[in-house]
Amino acid sequence: MRVLRIAAEGARSLGANKLRTFFMMAGTIVGIAALTVIMAIGEGTEKRVMKRVTSFGTHAIMVTAGGGKGFSPPQEGITTLRLDDAEAIRTQVSGIGIVSPFAIRRGMSLKAGAQQIQATVMAVEPDWHDAWEWYATEGDPIASEDMATMARVVVIGTTVVRELFGQQSPRGETLQIANIRFRVKGVLESRGTSPMGDDFDRRVIIPLTTGLRRVFNQDHITNIRVKVRNTRQLVPIADQIRQLLHERHHITPPQEDDFAIFSAAEVAKMARGISGTLTLLLSALAGLSLIVGGVVLMNILLISVGERTKEIGLRRALGATRRDVFLQFLTESLTVTFVGMLAGAGLGWAAGIALARLTPLSPVLSWQPLALAVAFALLVGTLFGVQPARRAARLHPVEALR
Amino acid sequence: MIEMEGIEKTYGNGSLATRVLKGITFRIEAGEYVAIMGTSGTGKSTLMNILGCLDKPTGGHYRLDGTDMVSLDDDALAHLRNHKIGFVFQQFHLLDRTTALKNVLLPLIYTDHYPADAEERAQSALAAVGLSDRIHYKPSELSGGQQQRVAIARALITNPEILLADEPTGNLDRRSGLEILAIFKRLHRDGRTILVVTHDQAVAEHADRVIVLKEGTVAEDRNVAQPRDAEEETQALADEEKTR
Repeated sequence: MRVLRIAAEGARSLGANKLRTFFMMAGTIVGIAALTVIMAIGEGTEKRVMKRVTSFGTHAIMVTAGGGKGFSPPQEGITTLRLDDAEAIRTQVSGIGIVSPFAIRRGMSLKAGAQQIQATVMAVEPDWHDAWEWYATEGDPIASEDMATMARVVVIGTTVVRELFGQQSPRGETLQIANIRFRVKGVLESRGTSPMGDDFDRRVIIPLTTGLRRVFNQDHITNIRVKVRNTRQLVPIADQIRQLLHERHHITPPQEDDFAIFSAAEVAKMARGISGTLTLLLSALAGLSLIVGGVVLMNILLISVGERTKEIGLRRALGATRRDVFLQFLTESLTVTFVGMLAGAGLGWAAGIALARLTPLSPVLSWQPLALAVAFALLVGTLFGVQPARRAARLHPVEALR
Repeated sequence: MIEMEGIEKTYGNGSLATRVLKGITFRIEAGEYVAIMGTSGTGKSTLMNILGCLDKPTGGHYRLDGTDMVSLDDDALAHLRNHKIGFVFQQFHLLDRTTALKNVLLPLIYTDHYPADAEERAQSALAAVGLSDRIHYKPSELSGGQQQRVAIARALITNPEILLADEPTGNLDRRSGLEILAIFKRLHRDGRTILVVTHDQAVAEHADRVIVLKEGTVAEDRNVAQPRDAEEETQALADEEKTR
């Protein structure tokens, strides 16, 4: 095929001028490498965000006692959030599936026999299990009778099982929380570690009534978890809850809230942080560097057309048509961008792997950036290759040979 | 067979128009060895470009084997150049950083049917100009005379009827120039049509016929009674150098 022979001529010419070829390629390599890395980091961030949102619950709103912006556990000694707040939310806000108030305390001492550990204790209502979709895998969950009788029963996480009871089944065993004896009723399904590094399984749950009266000696709660029926209602419902609590707590903004409300949307926003915007900005920069690379490529090609006037004239004299010359130069620019794209993607991939090892960025490498790179390279190669190729093709053989 | 009939070439137009060729008429039969002579500015290069189908005349007819090239489009002219004419230039015009073999193969890229035995053909073309041992050399590794011989091999690879040489010895020393002319003589003897455009009387006298241009017209068109023999002269030069 004549076309293939001419394309081969373009490739051969690139091979014969390696330095020039490298300079033509540099922009594409850097641009594509940057794009690959940035997209990988963006993907990684998004994955982390989704993990956070999923672990928080996509339908969930969390009311936390005490103000503050951080998604942190409530401060000790804040007594403003009460059970009747939860009751008010349940009765006055529509679109809600579950309202589950609870009290949490970290770092409490748990004892069984000679073993002693520290764990988080949560005093919960029975529908806590549904609110978190977190159930007992062994034994029974917290039940309504437990609430009514203020039963001293506990459902424990797998870390607690391992550290207090070892291999042996904990059901029916006795456990001391702050020197009060509890009977182990069941074992919670394992949830691993939180995105912040907390061990979800180093916790125990007890009935809310028991917790407030017998363990914590308080009548306030620390959190209310709300589960909405429809995720689209998440933000308006959060707003309604905020208004309701303002009324009940006699707060008029700009007075500071004595509670904080988080929804899955806010968790996503927080987890994403500025990285979403940054990814977009950096992608735009990488795209820009590709275009700059393209302009450089075009310039070098134009210079090269000027330098190779005699060569073009010679080829025309030997029988090349205008189309042949055009094709050769277009092949050169396309080959440059295509090879540059491959090298760039390889470089970006390597950088992604290195980043995954050395930084907490956890980039996710996927085929999408590569596909984008191919499309972009071909676009740049054509866009910036046509003009020089046309100029080359338009040279008159007599002028060119002079 | 080349037929030129009232060929004119005018550059520019209006008051700035320059008539370079003012009606050139001649006829060259297949197998002739013709030198086209003239001092610079006589339209020699312009005529050579038209002969080589690199440029079109503004008037007259140029028939190459019966085809009037004036009516052909750019692609058809490229095709014509590719298979009917072999070019040899004063500055050799080889691709640098490219081996002699690849240089010789260059015209075949633009043929309709790439021959299966292209490499062998290129090798034997190089052998015919005495460069069998330089096949993989790049132009920068060759002498001027050797480069011009690569160019001749390149001109012959498509087996054209006409070899068109523009001042082929202009950039060479006397001895290398004679070697080139000896190759031309041999090609002529094998039946090829040779056209040499030159300003050099000594070069022109190797041809059988000389057409002299003067101010855009044919001033003289004569046969050379006793063409010089490049092979003999090369031998003589070698002997001379030996005795010195």
